[in-house]
Amino acid sequence: MTASANRRPLAGIRVFEISIAVAAPCCGKAMAHHGAEVFKVEAHSYPDVARAFGSAWARDPELADVFCDTGPYVPEMSAGKRSVGLELKQPEALEAAKRLLATCDVFLTNFAAPGIAELGLDYESVKQVRPDIIYAGMTGFGVDPDKPYYPFRAFGPNQAPLVGWDALTGFPHEEPAGIPSIAPPDYMGGLHTMLAIVTALHERDRTGEGRFIDISQLETTVSFLGPYLVGQDLGVPEPFRNGNRVSWAAPAGIYPCAGNDRWIAVEVPDDEAWQALAGLAEWSDVPAHDAVDQAALSTYPHATLADRIANHDAIDAELSAWTSRRSPQQAAAELQALGIAAYEVLNHTGVLADPQVHDRRPYSIAPSPRLGRDLFVRNPVRMSATPPYVTRAGPNMGGDTVDVLTEIGYAHDDVEQMVADGTAFVDARPDVVLERPFDRWYESVGIAEFYDAEGNITGGNQ
Amino acid sequence: MSAAQQGHGPWSGIRVLDLTGLSGAYGTRVWAALGADVICVEPPAGNPIRNMPPLAPGHEGPEASLWWAYYAASKRSVVLDPTDSEDAAALVKLIGSADVVLDDAMPAAQEAYPWLADAGEGGLGVAGIVERFPHLTWVSITPFGMTGPRRHWRSSNLVAWASCGLASTVGFPHGPPLAPAGEIGVLMHGASLHAVIGSMMSVRARNLAAAADEPALGQTIDLSLQEVGLWLSPETGVPLYLDDQVPRPRAGNRRPVTSPMGMYPASDGYVAIIAIQPAHWNAVAQWVHELTGNEGILDEIFIDIVVRREALEAVDAWVEELTTRFTKQELFVEGQRRRIPITPVNTVGDLRHDPHLEAVGWWRPEEHPVLGTYTVPGSPFSTDGDWWAWQRAPMLGEHTDEVLSELT
Repeated sequence: MTASANRRPLAGIRVFEISIAVAAPCCGKAMAHHGAEVFKVEAHSYPDVARAFGSAWARDPELADVFCDTGPYVPEMSAGKRSVGLELKQPEALEAAKRLLATCDVFLTNFAAPGIAELGLDYESVKQVRPDIIYAGMTGFGVDPDKPYYPFRAFGPNQAPLVGWDALTGFPHEEPAGIPSIAPPDYMGGLHTMLAIVTALHERDRTGEGRFIDISQLETTVSFLGPYLVGQDLGVPEPFRNGNRVSWAAPAGIYPCAGNDRWIAVEVPDDEAWQALAGLAEWSDVPAHDAVDQAALSTYPHATLADRIANHDAIDAELSAWTSRRSPQQAAAELQALGIAAYEVLNHTGVLADPQVHDRRPYSIAPSPRLGRDLFVRNPVRMSATPPYVTRAGPNMGGDTVDVLTEIGYAHDDVEQMVADGTAFVDARPDVVLERPFDRWYESVGIAEFYDAEGNITGGNQ
Repeated sequence: MSAAQQGHGPWSGIRVLDLTGLSGAYGTRVWAALGADVICVEPPAGNPIRNMPPLAPGHEGPEASLWWAYYAASKRSVVLDPTDSEDAAALVKLIGSADVVLDDAMPAAQEAYPWLADAGEGGLGVAGIVERFPHLTWVSITPFGMTGPRRHWRSSNLVAWASCGLASTVGFPHGPPLAPAGEIGVLMHGASLHAVIGSMMSVRARNLAAAADEPALGQTIDLSLQEVGLWLSPETGVPLYLDDQVPRPRAGNRRPVTSPMGMYPASDGYVAIIAIQPAHWNAVAQWVHELTGNEGILDEIFIDIVVRREALEAVDAWVEELTTRFTKQELFVEGQRRRIPITPVNTVGDLRHDPHLEAVGWWRPEEHPVLGTYTVPGSPFSTDGDWWAWQRAPMLGEHTDEVLSELT
């Protein structure tokens, strides 16, 4: 199929992005997927961590110049963008940035407010260059220097503890487990920012005016606690981490299966599904546990939600005994047949083997200037008429500097002079094209759609 | 009357029918407060969210759930019984008046809506509806998408975390995997944001096509909870794993990469510290030294994160001597003053009384005819414009007559 290239939702929208890690980059990447032209303006003197991570297999002195293009986070966060190398602390670079900004509709950053002001790219400065700019600043704690946490640093992995998510992750009898290995708050911040930017574009279509948007991530992510925060004034007890249980369905949990470290997540949505589960003959074979309330056991099929919550430990013991005798796939199939939500707790290899992933191919493979082609997750919003996609992975650090600066009116000689002066930089080794160790398996692994440079799906799911 | 009815907000003039439960509620809440006319179409028994605890103490019935009170804010409520032919006809009319419809029914239901058959539309499914209403965007939010061998499988917030690979990395090594943030429904809210952003994109594309005198551009959007999970977990995702072949097992609340990194006990709870950069470590070491007189911790050898990993237990113990002396808020304020990336592990109660949220005037009072007066969180982000219009959640069927009379 050919994606409809001439009617993309963000066609013609130009985005100036100065960003780090996840929160703003995942927003810019999603905008690129809807057809925006996104310029990631980056510098060697304060590189994005996605550049610094690189790839373990590329730790080779001979690859030092291109190491920054090899990390899997580069396409995950920036596929479809163009990279412009400007050392913004130099006046000539800042001048070039402002000339680029004059052609842009959106300014997107997740640098801290004090840092972005130091670079001379605060809202007032940008607005002078582009009066109708939509300026989206993702600060940790807002833009008012008089407020208590303004100077504090918001650090990706520290966001979940700050906004209450970590304390709610874990079992009641243990320390909070938290979520130190992942960063959902950053992605949620990115989604809120995208929603705000699209809203501002919608508004600008009518008014012709720009907008200043302050995404203070504290407020954004605390918003998810709404029902419980409201409850504090009404005398609802403070919520406490409760494993995988929920207040509106039981049983709910993650249960052991046959095999080493194999698990299944189960949530019984309603009485009907519970009756089907309680009716399984094998339950009576399970030896009674001390914790089991025998009276409740005898009424299992009729147990109400309140009964099931009150006897959750006993039910868990029995359900665990049942799941332990099955593979996660077998248990999930049996439970789903009863109308119960259940799925194997997949790890990476599980996702790779998942039948639904194989059928729907939620990953993309697109041309990469450094790696020939590269793999990254697709945008999950599958639109039938204007599907999101990008035609390029990467980008190489500074790989688009010359093209972008000449497009906005710089002469080639001027750009060369800036590179010589160290105020701008380009891809040092455009001749070096590497290959990921896994590249040759992409065809057989079957989890991705292959896109060409025109946005056509080639190969893949055919 | 909703904000949209008063013509307020950047999305005024756009009508959204919300047929979803939890997987759409957060996003449509934000959209409604930004001026869209979001109409919750509820069955006579009410949206399932109305039953979700916590309930307001002393209350029962359709208005008691604080999930509803919060997530239905600024929306309108219309009760229609799709098994009643008159109501089914009204629903079809209502769909015709909408720009966007979001539904979270299972794929089999979305493939053939019986109420459309009753209304004489020939048992239309999603694709047929968009053919009939060519300006419409129809968003299907389903557990595993509208296609594929497991499209009929059920899911939930917990089960979706399991299906995307992320839960396997959360928890302690000795225990089972865990859903991040438990029951607050982070993945569901992420899905709802994707659904609303996709809808906004579709409306934008439609407007662009209309401005260019092209045929009406309606479309369907197929959003899978499993794929929402994959989108927000590159840290645990397949591309990273294929590249480095490093498994990411559950490691508890500290990352054994170096010290201090992760959760440490305070006198009244926990704090989270990340000290990777030398400056961060030096600030931690200096603080420990000032408090405990520990000279060894100042040894330059510990600036190396690898050395701190090898001496993990000793360094952790030194750091705990510091953290256990103060409250988490004291550690936050003083640690941040010393430029250490440190934050309290806040509880809901802590956040309700957080001094920064207080100082920025985030909270606002809300009055509800059944639940009384209480304080609710403010807007999730702010702008220099007059964007937000928050109103209390609608009571069951509160706007049925009002909305249906507009249709005639």
